[in-house]
Amino acid sequence: MYGLVALGYHITWSTSRTMNFSQGHAVMAGAVVAYAVFVALGWPFPLALLVTLAALACFGALVERVAVRPFFLRASPAWLLATIAVGIIAENVAQLTFGKDARAFPSPLMQKPIMVGSAGFYAQELLVPVAGLLLMGLVQLFYHRTPYGKQLKAVAWNPEAAGLMGINIPRAVMASYALSAVLAGVAGVLLAPLLNVSPQMGTIIGLKAFAVAIIGGLTSAPGIVVAGLGYGLVESFTAGYISTRAREIVGFGLVILVLVARPWGLLGEKPSRRV
Amino acid sequence: MRRLSAMLTILLAVAWTTAGPALAQSKEPVKIGLSAAVSGGSAASGEAIKRGLLIAIDEINAKGGVLGGRKLELVVRDDEGNPQKGVTIARELVEREKVAAVFGGLHTTVALAQVPVWHELKTPYMGAWAAGTNVTRNGQTPNYVFRVSANDDYVDRYLSRYAVDALKKGKPGLLLENTPWGQSNETGLTKWFGEKGIKAVGVERFNWNDPDMSPQLLRLKNAGADLIVLVANAPEGAQVLRSKAKLGWDTAMISHWGISGGRFAELTGDLSDGVVFLQTYTFFGKQNERGQYVLKVLREKYAVKEPGDVIAPVGTANAYDGMHLVALAIDQAGSTDGAKVRDALESLRAEYKGLIKTYKRPFTAEQHDALTDEDYVMVVWKGGKIVPVNMK
Repeated sequence: MYGLVALGYHITWSTSRTMNFSQGHAVMAGAVVAYAVFVALGWPFPLALLVTLAALACFGALVERVAVRPFFLRASPAWLLATIAVGIIAENVAQLTFGKDARAFPSPLMQKPIMVGSAGFYAQELLVPVAGLLLMGLVQLFYHRTPYGKQLKAVAWNPEAAGLMGINIPRAVMASYALSAVLAGVAGVLLAPLLNVSPQMGTIIGLKAFAVAIIGGLTSAPGIVVAGLGYGLVESFTAGYISTRAREIVGFGLVILVLVARPWGLLGEKPSRRV
Repeated sequence: MRRLSAMLTILLAVAWTTAGPALAQSKEPVKIGLSAAVSGGSAASGEAIKRGLLIAIDEINAKGGVLGGRKLELVVRDDEGNPQKGVTIARELVEREKVAAVFGGLHTTVALAQVPVWHELKTPYMGAWAAGTNVTRNGQTPNYVFRVSANDDYVDRYLSRYAVDALKKGKPGLLLENTPWGQSNETGLTKWFGEKGIKAVGVERFNWNDPDMSPQLLRLKNAGADLIVLVANAPEGAQVLRSKAKLGWDTAMISHWGISGGRFAELTGDLSDGVVFLQTYTFFGKQNERGQYVLKVLREKYAVKEPGDVIAPVGTANAYDGMHLVALAIDQAGSTDGAKVRDALESLRAEYKGLIKTYKRPFTAEQHDALTDEDYVMVVWKGGKIVPVNMK
């Protein structure tokens, strides 16, 4: 699941060399919007999902428009702070409208655990990685098989040349932001029944997803997928065999180790120039 | 003519400003502060405390208030369960709002952070929920911190006695939140189980907002625990139950009262059925005069139909009795001066026939907890409501 959110960092990084640091808050927004439409308004789930994804696409586009583009055009790194600011605003808006309480998000997959031998799991927990991998596959297909995806890839490859070929670069960047927010939103909807919905739920997920993106290599989608799975495994093994209290220490310690050994990430390309 | 009226206006104004304060002083309301989480996962606890305070305040004001006619007035601040925020609020309540005493909410972390502030600003604090042992046993002299609520040390004695004597369990596994509150209970449970010659088979901890408690539960299960003793608030308590169902481990579970504070029933559904936990008071069963009165007001003002609808009942009960005790102390002190009210609380002369019990000299220099394990009751979640356990 970290992988799905982390992929969002990769998508915007490769098109524009910028990142949306409010990815974690987009996860939260996905869960909160889905809660509002599905639970509070009682709409059918497919419709609620559609509304959520549309709202998240708008959120992503908005982040790009107000927090990235003004700085991107001036080659200023202030987008970094600006996207964090948008995230904090989103969290506070959620607190004002949704309230600060954690709320339960019902899912038919959370009713009864599936028992295997003496231990069991909830179907929802299985759905999360399966849906995650499926979506990552879809994103790859979109990039390699559809004309629009190819345009985005072209921008990532060489913005100047792509611009000369008539590709609208600002629009491509905006699209990449919308896409990355949608991915985070899906993650939010998938996680909601497991984590409960609250305005604070996204912060730590966003941070860990960023760690995953760095470990995997910002420029490498497969690297991020592998790192996402690996990070999740390391976390649960640490919790299972050492202690829950050591989980964050081991997890983030690993990030530092990887950065020392391979500053460009496990499968990332070694940059030929400093960025 | 014009000059005359101008002079009159000035005279009137002077008369107003000089007479104003003197008049206001005698009838100025006595402010009582509340620093509690009225939002977040534990919001129900703050709301319950507020209700208890308001019911008592209305009752006292209807009888003429305190200090010969001054009305009580409640000032509520949301500490969000955040210790830093708690300290800021403590100062604001005393320095800006000039409250005579402050009531506290659910979080031991907040209560502990505020202790030095009460001492420094010489303002009495009345705990209505947070049970950390060293909130009241804080080493300060004179001690400004009082409590009408549970104290972890007594709770742990009570829980261990219940586990061994009533449930006949001998292999408890402790599952605690990784906070000062959890720590406070680890000390107490180890001590009181130890008195009975029992050692916990495992001690596991979790952090706030942890989504999955399976690893901890699995370790307790493998260690052979026949009973889980839980110290958690509602959000984490809910995750514990989910993980427990996932492991298919149907061992008995008893809990400190944190799980009665939030949306525990909503978060867990029918998983919460059968979880036994402790309270200082229950609105079920035969009620004394106070109990009938409080339930009546809850029915009229807060749409409570039956005892099971009372949200976070201990908050309301503790705060209600605490408010009456503070009012008695203010009257005995004859002033709202913090040091004098503190002294009066420690040497309260009036007997107060309260909701939870009859208080005869509830506090002394050594004892700042009005309630002990003599006063606790055991209850159980059933169909999303809290019902009493029939215990001998």
